[in-house]
Amino acid sequence: MGVDLGPLFKKEKCSINDLKNRVIAIDAHNTLHQFLSIIRQRDGTPLKDSQGKITSHLSGLLYRTANLIEAKIKPVYIFDGEPHPFKTQTLEQRKERKEQAEKEWKKALEKGDLETAKTKAQQTSRVTDEIIQQSKELLNALGIPHVQAPSEGEAQASYMVKKGDAYAVGSQDFDCLLFGSPILIRNLTISGRRKLPGKKIYIKTNPELIRLQPNLKSLGILHRQLIDMAILIGTDFNPGIKGIGPKKSLELIKKTGNVENALALIGKSNAPTFSEINEIRNIFLKPRVTDKYLLQWSKPDKERVLKILCDHHQFSQERVESALEKFSTIEYMVKQKNLFDF
Amino acid sequence: MFSAKVKSDVIKGIIDVTSPLVNEAKFNISPKGISLRAVDPAHVAMVDLEVKNKAFEEYKADEMELGIDLDKLSSIMKLASAGDMVSLEYDEDTNRLIIKIGNLVRRMGLIDTAGMPDSKMPNLDLPAKAVIKASELTQGVRASEAVSDHLALTIDKESFELYAEGDTDTVNLRLPKDLLLELSSPGKYKSLFSIDYFSNMIKPVKGDDPVTILLGNDNPVRVDFDIADKKGHVTYLLAPRIESE
Repeated sequence: MGVDLGPLFKKEKCSINDLKNRVIAIDAHNTLHQFLSIIRQRDGTPLKDSQGKITSHLSGLLYRTANLIEAKIKPVYIFDGEPHPFKTQTLEQRKERKEQAEKEWKKALEKGDLETAKTKAQQTSRVTDEIIQQSKELLNALGIPHVQAPSEGEAQASYMVKKGDAYAVGSQDFDCLLFGSPILIRNLTISGRRKLPGKKIYIKTNPELIRLQPNLKSLGILHRQLIDMAILIGTDFNPGIKGIGPKKSLELIKKTGNVENALALIGKSNAPTFSEINEIRNIFLKPRVTDKYLLQWSKPDKERVLKILCDHHQFSQERVESALEKFSTIEYMVKQKNLFDF
Repeated sequence: MFSAKVKSDVIKGIIDVTSPLVNEAKFNISPKGISLRAVDPAHVAMVDLEVKNKAFEEYKADEMELGIDLDKLSSIMKLASAGDMVSLEYDEDTNRLIIKIGNLVRRMGLIDTAGMPDSKMPNLDLPAKAVIKASELTQGVRASEAVSDHLALTIDKESFELYAEGDTDTVNLRLPKDLLLELSSPGKYKSLFSIDYFSNMIKPVKGDDPVTILLGNDNPVRVDFDIADKKGHVTYLLAPRIESE
């Protein structure tokens, strides 16, 4: 879900063309969750195959990746590893919310209230182990690299951008900026339409680019102070202080310099302890990451893709084939070697 | 501290070799001169350039980094004619570069260099070497552009060859040893390159300028030439294309 830092950052418009030939490290969990929420029927039921298994994520992955490759953008999907123990509470809460939404979805359906049903249904989306496994298999067949993060996916993605192996992190969340990614790209969709959560309104979306350093500079804070701000607002690793949003936390951190001083000033009782604060800082500043990955794009294995999507999950062969045609630009990318391959 | 006076042509030369690869670059300033290294976002080509302090009419500098938006710098330099003197001065208080051309003063905002990665030069073993006149190379590349999107370079013990093949047409430029400024190769070496990148790479060289080409088999090419009246030097690396998988 991430930290609500959006309102503070300056966003630059960016076109798909600006991203040509660039590697984008995509937060897989965030993206799959998006597919599972959005790709649903009118009553909120996700896409399913003949055995009743969800296929929204496969549909999303195929078409989204095809559009990126056609635009000569090189995606690499980063999957989450083991969550930090501090995240357990967040994960528990998410699970509870989903169970609650599940009940409300059913209720709305009984009443015939389709609009509420769809909204509630979207909130039930869960990226299960099976969904992750199927997504990785599809990516393998499509010839698209993916990386297994030791812990947080966004930490790994940010590390790869810092190292220069990728140009930006692709995610809707702002957390990668806490992990120090120099550039975040949001709305990396080509279709250019996104539904506002919980509303029946579609907004036109363009990819937007958020650069860490210039934003820190204009906010007048250091990177570690951004992390301190996030701790006050609440992160995936702590619930945050009640009544403190992005603006208030910026004000507090600028005034006091760090979380400890800010907490002393406002004197809240439900605050994290100093050792917890340090641990959360370390999650962002020294995350567990790996160098064990290979960034290689290859031609899709058409037969395998058709087998997975059409034989196993009853996708229309015609539509899958036309999506696969968009992968022809990969030939150009495959033949052109990278300087650092040598 | 950085303050210098230089002919506009030297700055234009730096822009010519760097701007096809990146929009922004980190200029490393030192008492000895200016250097920069940039890699294009696709990691296909790298430019490494150095302009010595001797290339400047006046030059005073401490060690520092300047993050420069090359599009901006290029549009400013279009206001200068060939041979015009340009003065450059870093204003620490506002973090801007003050550029003076005649009576015109432009204060150019600089980019934070913190996010710009330092790339390492890959370690390459390129056994074949040929030194060619710029005009010969330019002619071959221009002709190839019309027939294909990639070209093949071959160096053997006797000659240098450039070859491009399209659907219907081919281009061939073969220069035997006696038409080259230098040739040394222990055998036959061949690699393929994107013409887009290649033609950008040799844009700044003209006429009789010697261009040094180092080549291997399915390996990057290294191209070296001088700029700024031999008071500056450019090394270009370009990754190959592979013919088939």
